[in-house]
Amino acid sequence: MSSDRLGASIVLCLAVAAALPLRASAGEAARLAKTWRTMDEVSAEEKKQLDSRAETPRDSRFPYLPAERYPFEPPFTAEEIGIRSADFIHVSRWSHAIYDAFGLLTGGGYLHEAAAVGLVNYVAEPGLAGELFQIAPGDVSTRMLMYYVFPPETDGAEDLYVVHRTDAERTKKIDYFTYAPSLRRVRRQPEPRRGERFPNAVQSFDDIIGRAPWEFAWRFVGADVLYETVRFPNTRATITLANAAREFREVPTGSLKMMGNDYPYYRPDGGVDCWVLEAKTRTDWLPGYPLTKILYWLDRHSFYPLRIEQYDQQGELQVVEVRLARQENPALGERGYAALITIYFDPKLDMTSYSVHDAHTVREWTDQDREVVFSPDFMRRGWLVQPLKSQALVRSPDQFYLRPMLDREKFPNERKVALTPEVQARVAAQEAAGHVVFETQQAASAAASP
Amino acid sequence: MSRKLRRASLREIGLAFGLAAALASPCFGGVAGDTWSRFDRFLATFDPAGHYLREPIEKRVPALVFKGFLRQWSDVLLTEDRQAGFRDKDFRFLQLQNLLESELHYFLTPNVEITNVNHLLYDGVYDWQSSRGLFAPRVSQSARAYQDFERIVRELYVSYRSYAFDLVLGKQQVAWGKMDGQFIDIVNPMDRRESVQLETSDYEYRRLPTWMANFTYFFGKNSIQLLYVPNFEQDRLAPPGSPWYPPSVPPSDSEVRDRLAGRLPPSGDIVLDRRKPEMGDFGDHEGGVRIDLSMEPVTWGLIYFSGWDDNPTHYIVDRRVENGLTRLVVEPRHKRLHHLGMTGDYATSFSAVPVIGTLPTVLRVEALYTRDVPFADSARRDAAEQGALDDGVVERDTLRAAVALELALPANTTLLFQPSAYYTFGHRDTLGVGFGGAYLDEWNLVPVFYIARPVLFTSDRLRVSFTAYPILSGPRTDFQGVKTKLIAGYTFSQFIVGKLIYTAYGGGKNVDLYGQYDKWDNIGWELSYEF
Repeated sequence: MSSDRLGASIVLCLAVAAALPLRASAGEAARLAKTWRTMDEVSAEEKKQLDSRAETPRDSRFPYLPAERYPFEPPFTAEEIGIRSADFIHVSRWSHAIYDAFGLLTGGGYLHEAAAVGLVNYVAEPGLAGELFQIAPGDVSTRMLMYYVFPPETDGAEDLYVVHRTDAERTKKIDYFTYAPSLRRVRRQPEPRRGERFPNAVQSFDDIIGRAPWEFAWRFVGADVLYETVRFPNTRATITLANAAREFREVPTGSLKMMGNDYPYYRPDGGVDCWVLEAKTRTDWLPGYPLTKILYWLDRHSFYPLRIEQYDQQGELQVVEVRLARQENPALGERGYAALITIYFDPKLDMTSYSVHDAHTVREWTDQDREVVFSPDFMRRGWLVQPLKSQALVRSPDQFYLRPMLDREKFPNERKVALTPEVQARVAAQEAAGHVVFETQQAASAAASP
Repeated sequence: MSRKLRRASLREIGLAFGLAAALASPCFGGVAGDTWSRFDRFLATFDPAGHYLREPIEKRVPALVFKGFLRQWSDVLLTEDRQAGFRDKDFRFLQLQNLLESELHYFLTPNVEITNVNHLLYDGVYDWQSSRGLFAPRVSQSARAYQDFERIVRELYVSYRSYAFDLVLGKQQVAWGKMDGQFIDIVNPMDRRESVQLETSDYEYRRLPTWMANFTYFFGKNSIQLLYVPNFEQDRLAPPGSPWYPPSVPPSDSEVRDRLAGRLPPSGDIVLDRRKPEMGDFGDHEGGVRIDLSMEPVTWGLIYFSGWDDNPTHYIVDRRVENGLTRLVVEPRHKRLHHLGMTGDYATSFSAVPVIGTLPTVLRVEALYTRDVPFADSARRDAAEQGALDDGVVERDTLRAAVALELALPANTTLLFQPSAYYTFGHRDTLGVGFGGAYLDEWNLVPVFYIARPVLFTSDRLRVSFTAYPILSGPRTDFQGVKTKLIAGYTFSQFIVGKLIYTAYGGGKNVDLYGQYDKWDNIGWELSYEF
């Protein structure tokens, strides 16, 4: 290298070094400021959007719903916002196809990933309204066919979920069928136990299929501003995403925003204003349910859940779910948001799962599709009718998503977060390093360093 | 089993499962944990065949999907007994099998696909231990390694798909039914080299694909499948001199060896060549139909299959007196059988069950009724030896059926209870064994019990299961023994899985189905790499 170029390089490095603290300080300032407020601290002006009543007139046909018709008018009760947020379950409430790349990482670095092409037939009109007003309790609301393409062990395996609308009497949520190429048999399976996590995953069946909002008692907890949900490690500068036209594009991970680029309500500093609500399990509806309550961070405009915290029978934090969403179905307006990336973190087991819904394609299935493709017998044909592709698998443990922020200072009276010293050390090491740290020796020294 | 041997067996089992537990402990702290972490992360991306074979091939030929696996199975006997029934049990390894599978799918158009599955198998059990009791390759080379087109090219077919129908032409396997075990799964014959240790999970690799035309018409959520099978293949049973050849079956191993070597003159029955159904004879072809109906919350189906008995029956065709000794002349023949079967399943969830709350449940049923199954009859044979004109065979109807109750218990625990029944109509004590009927009795009842769950502290990587297969019989025999199986399966990575399997046989008499194998307790491991 010539002395000129060496000199230029040194100058460039100094300039970058000088700029870094400035950039970091802007972000840090927003993050370090107290972003959360209890309901007592929320201004009267902001509260105009809210209706603090806990008891409201009931629907004559479905007494577990408010008399006011969905999607409700402001001011909203906590229950109404809770029902609105149920529009945004993990599997979007419209017919579509996705490439679902998902995986698990343990604190020690064991990575297990899978991928499936998911075909979803939402039986009613798109959105929660379709299920509420067109599907009777006990009837089928959604049919979902998953065709696994990775890892090789499960390549060609298929699952069919036939999801029913439930109520207090009709509690069967799904009919569940599997096809395993190694058995060459379609078998009906017992429906997964609600609230119990899947093997090799943090998320539960309810996290995937969604919870009926009337199974919970809703209450306002406060307000918050979120600046980050899904976080990438500094070892992963870009992610390759596919679109409905099956085109791949390399996206800088730093450019992905919590609600996508088109969301019009970002604060000037990039934050998203959220209401924080508590959904307390109604034991008359869900006896023996493993969760006592769920806290939701919902954006204030569409009530999209950006962060969800589940609390176990001891009242301790069991799972943190964070989402990175984007507008996938513009025809539905503010109800067209869907999760692009979802992270689930179990702080007790120190396990993190992810799910990327890549190549999201809104579909209007033909009558023939609806009749033939979404039936158990179809699976033994081994026919992938929508061959989507993706490159969204993580592939290497070192490039896995960061554990979500725990923000232990927020709402201390509402949140009980208990971490073992080992997990605390790993989390601290992750925050210091900017990527997941697997080795305990390294984690301990990183956590100890200032 | 002697007390000493039992102690030795327990030691070995303890050692093996201790090793499994050690493998399953990624929660070590300190240096050991860090070493394991590095190993885990190395394995996470260890997929050499995927990187250097599958990906370049698929890149070069975009219309081709290429995949496969390499699997190693080993089973070690836990007993040192030298003689068991008619067998020289002087070996310890029951199998040292290595199987390489390649699977290719070439898409001529989105609807037309050519599929080819190949197997290369080598069982080192005959070469890697010194044993006089293992001489099966002298009877059948495929016991040691696959060497011919029939075994190596397992599947080769072209398929056409449309919404209305599927048409698959070529060498293929078809599995009917929903249950664990074989009830209406009768289309293809099976390689039964592992005898009583052949499990449902092995069927995919042990089923013997045959040439056939397979047409399925779909109407709504229902379908009708038609099979036309011109190519008959028989079951391949464990040959004499193989690890699982039944110890209750005479003659002794030494006698068989001497006859193979020509050191003993022929004796016993004069066995003619097997009369095999011919591909060129239209009347020898097989055919079947299956109807599947979906009526939420029940799905059910009916099958009919007209096919040959996969195992020949020895028909007495003559009687000769040589040097004052009477010898029967027998001809092994396959008999055409007519099978009628049904299958069905139903799911529900019980709520407010004490302790466990909700209890998701599935009920499956399956049954097969078969007409005029041939059974060798020892009374008729005796009559034939005395000079009566009798082929020594009687025909009886048989029924085999099962009901399975599968429960999803807390902590991802699966419990399955599957009583399976086998019944021979018009049974008498002189009958041998026939398709679908009870084993050496009028009825058998096998109440299979299975429980499995992942182990949480291993992040679900370790999965433990226990299965018991007791055989109850009547009216002649009460109990024909029990097979128990304990499996610890461990996921090393998304490409590599391993299993430790302990299988024990106990109870019953030395002629009973499981009773005869009471010295065959074994521990095995399976290691599989898929790409």
